[in-house]
Formats: sequence, C-alpha cells, structure tokens
Amino acid sequence: MHPALPIALALATALAAGGRLLLWQQSRTQDTGSVFALLLGESRRAFAAQVFLKADAYFHRGFYPSVFDLALPDGKTHMAKETESHNPHEHTQPQHPNRDWIETFGRNFYPSEHRHIERLGEAREILPWLRLAAELDPHRVDPYTVAAYWLRERLNKVNEAEAFLREGLRANPDSYEILGELGRLYAENQRDVPRARAVQELAIAKWIRQEASKPSPDVLAYAQILGQLAALEESTGNLDRALAHFTRLKRVSPAPDTVQKRIDELQAKLGQPR
Amino acid sequence: MNTIWALAKVVVLEMVRRKDFYVLFILTVLLTATAGSVNLFNDRSIVRYLKEICLLLIWACGLVIAITCTARQIPAERESRTIFPLLAKPVTRGQFLLGKFFGCWLATGLALLLFYIFFGLVSASRDHEWPVLNYLQAAWLHWLMLGIVVAFTLLGSIVFAAPSSNGTICFVSAAGILVLGRHLNKVALSLAEPLQSLLYAFYFALPHLELFDARGLIIHGSELIRWDMIALATLYAAAYAAFFLFAAWLVFRRRPLN
Amino acid sequence: MIWAGAFPSPLCPKPTVETTLSIENLRVEYRSRDLGETTKIAVHDLNLKVGLGEVFGFLGPNGAGKTSTMNVLLGFVPPTSGTARIFGVDVREPIARQRIGYLPEQTYYYKFLTAEELLRFYAGIFQIPSKETEQRIDGVLKLVELDHARKRQIKTYSKGMQQRVGLAQALINNPDLLILDEPTSGLDPIGRMKVREIIQRLKGEGKTVFFSSHELGEVETVCDRVAILHQGELKTEGSVNDLLKEHSSNLEQIFLKLIGYSPQP
Ligand SMILES: Nc1ncnc2c1ncn2[C@@H]1O[C@H](COP(=O)(O)OP(=O)(O)O)[C@@H](O)[C@H]1O
Ligand SMILES: [Mg+2]
Repeated sequence: MHPALPIALALATALAAGGRLLLWQQSRTQDTGSVFALLLGESRRAFAAQVFLKADAYFHRGFYPSVFDLALPDGKTHMAKETESHNPHEHTQPQHPNRDWIETFGRNFYPSEHRHIERLGEAREILPWLRLAAELDPHRVDPYTVAAYWLRERLNKVNEAEAFLREGLRANPDSYEILGELGRLYAENQRDVPRARAVQELAIAKWIRQEASKPSPDVLAYAQILGQLAALEESTGNLDRALAHFTRLKRVSPAPDTVQKRIDELQAKLGQPR
Repeated sequence: MNTIWALAKVVVLEMVRRKDFYVLFILTVLLTATAGSVNLFNDRSIVRYLKEICLLLIWACGLVIAITCTARQIPAERESRTIFPLLAKPVTRGQFLLGKFFGCWLATGLALLLFYIFFGLVSASRDHEWPVLNYLQAAWLHWLMLGIVVAFTLLGSIVFAAPSSNGTICFVSAAGILVLGRHLNKVALSLAEPLQSLLYAFYFALPHLELFDARGLIIHGSELIRWDMIALATLYAAAYAAFFLFAAWLVFRRRPLN
Repeated sequence: MIWAGAFPSPLCPKPTVETTLSIENLRVEYRSRDLGETTKIAVHDLNLKVGLGEVFGFLGPNGAGKTSTMNVLLGFVPPTSGTARIFGVDVREPIARQRIGYLPEQTYYYKFLTAEELLRFYAGIFQIPSKETEQRIDGVLKLVELDHARKRQIKTYSKGMQQRVGLAQALINNPDLLILDEPTSGLDPIGRMKVREIIQRLKGEGKTVFFSSHELGEVETVCDRVAILHQGELKTEGSVNDLLKEHSSNLEQIFLKLIGYSPQP
C-alpha cells in the first residue's frame, strides 16, 4: 500500500471531523465565529460578504452579475433590498448587451438570465449561505434578518426563524434591525403582542441611541420599525400610541402623504378633530 | 492508432494503480458528507448548497488529477529512462505525445465518471431526481475542459524542466482562467488604449476554460443546454487541445534525449 | 569471422559483405547549458562496421562514449557530424525500428506493471497479433528466467530481475539486430553467465548483436570482433583472435595498454 494513503485518509478524516465539529459547535456557543476568526482572521469578513452574495445569486437561480459587471450603487444586494421592501417589483436593470462572441457563446453554459426563484420551496436553498455568512462573520446583521424573513414568511418555520434571530441578537445585542425583525415575528407570526411591543420599542430606543445623532442615519430601518409598531398598536386598539408612532413616522417616511392619510383616519376614529 | 492506444492504456493503468486518485475521491466524499450532515434549520430537503460544494470539490480534484497525472508523464519517462526502450521501437515522437495525451485524458475521464456518479447520488438523496442528460452535458463539458488542460500541461512538461514547477504553473493558470477569464474583456474596456487592445487580444487568444463550467445550470436545475452549443464547445476544445499538442510536438520533435 | 583479417583500415570505404550497422566519421558533442563549461566531445571521428550475424563488443571504460554512440544509432541524439546507418538506412530517418531490439542501461521499467503486462504493452507497439504475443512472452520470459515472477509488479523485482526484464523487452519483437548497452551491469556472476548464454544463443539464431561493455572477461568468450573506445576515440578494432595474436597478451592487458594505463611499479 502507498504510504501516503493512510496519512491522507487520516488527514481527511480529521479535516472532515474538524469541520463538522466546527459547524456543530458554532451553533451552540456564545461567541460564534471565534474558531473561524482563528482560522481566517480578519479575512473572514470578506468571505462572509462573498457567501452572502452567493445567497443572492441563489435567489436569482444562479444568475448574479459579478463585481466586474456592476456594483450596486448603495452597496446593498438585490435580494436584501427585495426582502426589505417585501414586495415583488419590476426589474428595470437592463441586461448588458454581449460585448463579443465569447460572451455570447458563454451565456449558454451558465445561468445568465435574471430570474427569481419560482417555486415556494426554492427559497430554502438560499438559507445555507446565509447561515454560513453568519458563522463567518457573526457581527454582520443582514444574514440573520434575511434568513428569518424567508424562514417565517415562505417556509413556515417560525421557531427556526426565532432561534436564528436570537442567535444573531446574542452576537449583536444592540442591533435594532434584528430586534425589529424579531418584533415582527412576534407580532405577525406568533401574535404575542406584549412581547412584540417590548421588542419593537427596544429596537426604537436602540436606533435612537445609535443612529439619531449620525449625519445620515439609517432612516429606512427606523421607518419600518415605527410603521410596524404603529400598525400593531392600531390593531390592538391602542389608538393613542398608534397615532404617536405615525406622527414620528411621518417625519422620516419617504412617503409622508400616505402616513398623513393614516393619521387622518386614526384621528377620525378617535373622534378628536383638530 | 494501436500504438497510441497501447501508450494510453499504460497511463490509465498507472492512475488506477496509484493511490492518489482514491485519496482525492475519499476526501471529496468525506467533505461532502460533512457538509451534508450539518443541520440547517431542521430542513433536510435543502440540496443546492450541497451540490455546489460537491461540484466545487469535483472541479478542484479534476484539475489536480489532470495536471498531476500529465505533468509527471514525460519527466517520469526520462527519469526512469523508459523513454529509451520505448522510442527505440516503432513509435514516432508524435505518437508518443498523442498516446500520453489520450492516456491522461482518458484517465481523468474515468475519474470524472466516478465523481459525477457520486454527485448524482448526493443530489438524488435529497431531491429524488435524476436529470441524467443534464449531468452528462455538464460532465462532458468538464471533460473537454480538462482535455485542454491536459494538452497544455503536456506542453509545459516539455518546456519547463521541473515537473513540480510545471504543475504549479499549469494549476495557477487554469484556475486563473476559470475565475477571471470571463471578465477580462470588461477589465480591458476599463483600461487606457494600448493596454486595452493588448488585454483584449489576450482575452481572445486565451482558451476560455470557464466556458465549460456548467455547474450553475445543474445546481439550479435549468433546462438542457442546446446540443448545437455543446457541439460548438467540443470543437472549440478540440481546436485548443490540438494547438497545444502541435506546439508540444514542435518542441519535442527534435529534442535530443539524454 | 567473415571479417577476420579483412579489415586493414577502419576507414575502409567499400564493405564487401552485407553490413547491418555502419558508422562513418561520427562526431557527438554535448553543448553544456551551464555557463563557463565548454562543449564536451563525447565521440570523435568514429568509424565502425558491423556485419550480418556478428557479435560485436563495443568496449571502453566509463565515459568513453559508448552510450553516446548508441544514442545516435537509435535517433535519440542527432550526430554533430558524420552518419550512421542501420540496415542501410540513415538513423535520422524514421528507421526500420521494427527489426531492432534495444536494451538501455539502468532503466527502471514501469514499476506498476507486471512483467507480463510490460511485454504485452511493448508487443502492442510492434502490432504483434495477440495470440503470437502470448507465445513470445512465454518464450522470452523463459529465456530470461522470469517465468516465476511474471505476474508480479516490477517494483518488487531485484536489480538483476529488472535487467532481465529489459533483456526480455529487447527480444519481444524477435529482432534481427540487438543493441545492448552494458547488458551485464548490475548482475551477479551467474547472471552474467546467463546473459552470455543468451547472446550465444541469439548468435546461433543468426542475429546480429552490438553490445557495449567494460567487462572484458565476458567479451573474449562471446565476441567475434571488438572495438575499443577511449575518450571518444577508437583505439583499436578487429577480431578477438587477431588482437590476441597481435599483442600476444590477454584482452585485459591490451585494453589497459590502449587506454594508457600502466600499473604502478
Ligand atoms: N547529456 C550530456 N551532456 C554533457 N555531457 C555528456 C552527456 N552525456 C554524456 N556526456 C559525456 O560524454 C562522455 C561519454 O559518455 P557516455 O557515452 O555515456 O559514456 P559511456 O557510455 O561509454 O560510459 C562522458 O564524458 C560524459 O560525461
Ligand atoms: Mg554508458
């Protein structure tokens, strides 16, 4: 027998077992990512970014324009934006015309059409990459929120979504995004109003502490959380508080007119004409 | 033809009897099994990431097998001096090169077959589908790509003296083309003029190994590739392999052996 | 024997009998790639003729240029100048290799093959029909006494066994001309004797054998004619009997004298 064979086998076993243990242990330790940090150092953030892009590519059934093709101006991935806005939208992004015959020919051999996952179940395929991105860089927030969205919204896995968000929260206790998503989960999927309210309010408090004083705060997230909280209060009859939240929302909302309409409706309900 | 076949058979036999190929296969199986055993949100039907990892390993192993097998052929013949009794027989140097080429290509093909069967099993274990034709298309393209790699590694093994440095050079260039080949034209367009034309010319001259990478299509369950495109890709690969083999023959034809 | 005494000068231009192998004014140089090293002249104006059915001993100390000459004969190295012919065909042409058997020195045959597979591979190159191949393999393996090990991989062979595998592969195509580069090197006395026996037997079958050696004892008993080469130059050439008569001493003494070695008093 070749002397290298048992050595290589042992090495492979060790690698495989080690990798397995890593991933397994990762899911239950407090400071996730520490082993990856050890292995990859700071470059793990770059890896996490790549892996997150992979999830985005899976969302488009393998199609994803490379860094050479275009860089989205706000640096956010396509999927993340769609997940945030929660509605399917038109794609205005034009496909590049082919530059030469090699490109034209090459398109036959890789997914080169902008298409989204079609079947409901296909959404699950993006999850492994989000999980891996989170394990590579646990301080990156969007893998948690995006994965939780797909888990509870499309795959009906509310418990898993909650667990994953909590995992994210352990690594990022001050993340208003994760808190906001968790609040939505309690409100929309578990109908646990007190918890939802508590979490959303905490999210707002965190946002104000972290973002309010910045020159260009993340207003979109703030508006989303406020909108959800307002809707929650409205649906449970706390019209005063709903009104207060809508009023705050109006100041930051990209569509203040719509918010004003809701405010008017609420005021009509409350019977307090001004 | 018989001569070439006789030469090729020895190369294939060598791969079958050497153990490094099995090591790579077992490594792939173990790593894929590891990736498959991770619990992802209690959902056992998630499969594409597993296909992706398995195919990535197969592509890496395919390159390693093709390059290491080819890079050592001629240096080993010279080291052990078997090239002398061989070329003292009615074998032309061209036949010798062709025999080595087909041997290495066939050997990697056999390895690929085993790897792709494993891939089919992995994939079917989760989504219970057997798109055999799609797999065949992908495997065929992969094999064509390795044909080009084998041909230029063979050329390299004549041009560069040390087999290890040749292996490294071939591996780096193949991997480089696979990763960047598709984008060189865009990079070229972003450059200033003399460089732009230069890089664009390089882009056209390069064997575009990445063309043969249909992994994306079988991971995401796309339709079959058009057969006429497969035929074109076959021609493209054959042209490049022939070019490298011809260059190898030109260099080797008059080379003194001692 | 046919040639005995009929060779007044090595430059004799007209061969009177059928020649299997002829070398005329052959010069082989190695150009060193390393800087500062001069061109190495391995063979210098060599003229030789080997007749049909002869056993010809090509003698010389290590580094004399024997292997270099053979490399030219087989087309591995182009001659710097001069010509060499085998069966009347210039060796630079794609020659009649179908009729040659060659045993190189120090070859490590594909160690992952068995002797049987190795011979089958070489037979395939000669396009020998498969039924005949098996007969030939049986024959040559018996001849070199490797029958017992034919199904073992060559990596398990001893040095002597490897040398005998080499001899077997040189014989697989039943060649008319055998070129053997130090066929007895690395063999023990019994092994050498067996190689001598094989050469005798081939001679009996009417084959021409051109072999190099620096072992003089064996040469005396099997060779019809010998040539002695030293530092690329032909020192003498002729039938063994004539040489012995001419110098009235044994071949070893002649050899040492010709290469300029005098024992210290
Ligand atoms: N490839 C080479 N490059 C330079 N010199 C060589 C080469 N091969 C052989 N020589 C030199 O040529 C001379 C003859 O070598 P060789 O023919 O192998 O001798 P022999 O076979 O008689 O022992 C030696 O001095 C050797 O050093
Ligand atoms: Mg020698």
